[in-house]
Amino acid sequence: MTSRLLLTPAVGVLLLLSGCGTIWDAPVGYSESPKLTGGELKGKTKLQKAVRAQLDKLYGPNPRDIRVFPGSGLFNGGTSLANLVKEGKKVREVKYEVVDSITGKKSIKTQHGGYSLYRRHCLHCHGVSGDGAGPTAPYLYPRPRDYRPGIFKFTSTGLNKPTRDDLRKTLLYGIAGTSMPAFDAMLSADEIDQVVEYVVFLSMRGETELGLIDIASTVDEKDAATELSDEVGLDTAKVVANKWVQASNLVVDPPIPRVIADEASVKRGRELYLGLNKTGGKVECVACHGPQAHGDGPSFVDKTVFDKVVFWEKSIDEAIDEIYEHMIFEHEGKVEAAKNPKDVPPLIAKKEFAAKVKKAWGESLDDWQNPLRPANLTLGRYKGGRRPIDLYWRIANGINGAKMPGHASAIKPEQIWDLVNFVIQLPYDPNMLENAPPPPAAAVAER
Amino acid sequence: MRNWSLLYIVMAVLSVIVCIYAPFDPNWRLPPNVSTTGREVDHLFELIMGITGLTFVGVSIAFGIAAWKFTDAPGRKAKYMHGSQRLEIVWTVIPAGILVFIALYQMGTWTKIKFRSEAPRVQPIAEVSARQFQWLMVYPGPDGRLHTPDDLHTVNDLHFVKGKPALIYLKSQDVIHSFFLPQMRIKQDALPGMTIPVWFDSDTASTSEHPFELVCAELCGWGHYKMRSKVVVHETQAEFDEWVKQSLKEQNRDQLKSAKTTTAAVEHKGGESL
Repeated sequence: MTSRLLLTPAVGVLLLLSGCGTIWDAPVGYSESPKLTGGELKGKTKLQKAVRAQLDKLYGPNPRDIRVFPGSGLFNGGTSLANLVKEGKKVREVKYEVVDSITGKKSIKTQHGGYSLYRRHCLHCHGVSGDGAGPTAPYLYPRPRDYRPGIFKFTSTGLNKPTRDDLRKTLLYGIAGTSMPAFDAMLSADEIDQVVEYVVFLSMRGETELGLIDIASTVDEKDAATELSDEVGLDTAKVVANKWVQASNLVVDPPIPRVIADEASVKRGRELYLGLNKTGGKVECVACHGPQAHGDGPSFVDKTVFDKVVFWEKSIDEAIDEIYEHMIFEHEGKVEAAKNPKDVPPLIAKKEFAAKVKKAWGESLDDWQNPLRPANLTLGRYKGGRRPIDLYWRIANGINGAKMPGHASAIKPEQIWDLVNFVIQLPYDPNMLENAPPPPAAAVAER
Repeated sequence: MRNWSLLYIVMAVLSVIVCIYAPFDPNWRLPPNVSTTGREVDHLFELIMGITGLTFVGVSIAFGIAAWKFTDAPGRKAKYMHGSQRLEIVWTVIPAGILVFIALYQMGTWTKIKFRSEAPRVQPIAEVSARQFQWLMVYPGPDGRLHTPDDLHTVNDLHFVKGKPALIYLKSQDVIHSFFLPQMRIKQDALPGMTIPVWFDSDTASTSEHPFELVCAELCGWGHYKMRSKVVVHETQAEFDEWVKQSLKEQNRDQLKSAKTTTAAVEHKGGESL
């Protein structure tokens, strides 16, 4: 009896020492781009090794050992990424001086570090490597952003990298209508800046990885050492870093101030939206956003298919089967009800229907291969921000990585403002689109 | 096995020590109350704490004595007894009396906080929608009406005026959340499909740098802890109006020029470079 009683705690201690202990001490590693081991580089282990070696040299082998190359453009040489700095053999904490803007009082603080904040608040969705595949990511739609391709949706710089202010805004106020929360009340301004730097670091790392893979794909395996030298690695990283440095110079300011949002402007915006305007360039908002702006235009995959795949987690084939079955049922009903069954047009063949849906599905994915929907503009939910300038940027420059194209070259700035005014007014006045003519089916938005 | 009773006695004594210590440590107790009804809530809290505390001490002493004295011992025989009807009646009637007293005593406060007939006759300060995982506030703009194009939209940022009753309409967009203002001792569940009026006030102002808190008090999902909002109590109505005006100006921004760059409360100085 006594021996068994003693056994229980002994087993517990053993478990703690062996099994459970490893969970906490396991090395945290970056995930790799699937292109590194698949595609062109499949089986070419020397090249793969060379790419990994360069990445480790430039950015550090794991998040606990962060390295920053000279000329990265990261704040203070990257010291806000983590709270420990290694100089030679000495490791010390990063400290900084804080000046209270009201009292002017100075104090020395030990830095939290972007990585520790990121790990606590962001990692569970965005992942260790910023690949948007953290443990809570599968539960979310829209999917959390994968930073590694270096594409960010909501920028003030068009197709370029976002500015630090753009990222800061996303962190402070979240993204409306998605699972990205607002951190304004949770983190201090200083902490937000550290997280922004860390996100930029992860994005730079991911884009450098892709750059190195591109180079590796074009060279022969026996030249791995020379073609992927330290110099090449640093150059690749610097090209990426430079894009981030340049961002602040590329902010687009609307060339003219907002057109007064009177009835006439909103009406002009409505006509532009529907493609009915007689003067100026034309845009095809209605093709994607739909005649009632519910985000159900004909240029996108049908909403029933989308819902079945995204929210009911069916495969695309299952969705097609179910919908086609329903179409047969409806068709039979029509035939039965018709006086002359021959008047009812025959049902589209299943093969043809499936091909059509699959084509539309393929065209409705974003750059991360995630299913995408045009915004329902009647809800008043603006992912990139509700300020007129935000909406101007979305319409003029488009949304990176998504299907929303930029329209700055197609229409004049005052027309863009008319559209902005219309979009802002629409949620309060959805009747504006009642009896709107259906869009021409052939219209397709293109970037 | 008499020593087992010692464990129970030690635990009871520790619990009492913690309860007595807690009010004297600002980190252990509730944050200082700032609202009118909050005083009554605190009074009720203390009263009920006192009653349950005394009961706990009494029960613990009786339990400790019983466990110590009547522990098993060599040669002692168990005695069969049917119980005492008098004792049963006493320990049923006394708690029942206490419960009825508490039920009647708290009624006035509950009415003031929850009964819609007691809601202040004022314009709502905002509509607050809870969603996983944030609080969305919509303030009526200059026209004083909600759901018009001049509304002000904020995320996790609740503002009202000191010394004035504030009324909000509480909604939920997805699951059940709970609107909890710890400093004002207000807690109200947000239910999907319902619009619930909630009212409160504050006799103390707070700032954006040192705000009061609004938190979610109903485990609503994995991001529950992220549902924290600033609560800023403005000193005067004029200050509040100015905040609305400035915020609307930013919400209506159409040009970068005259852009208010993000001014952080603290300024990064120097740091250390690699």
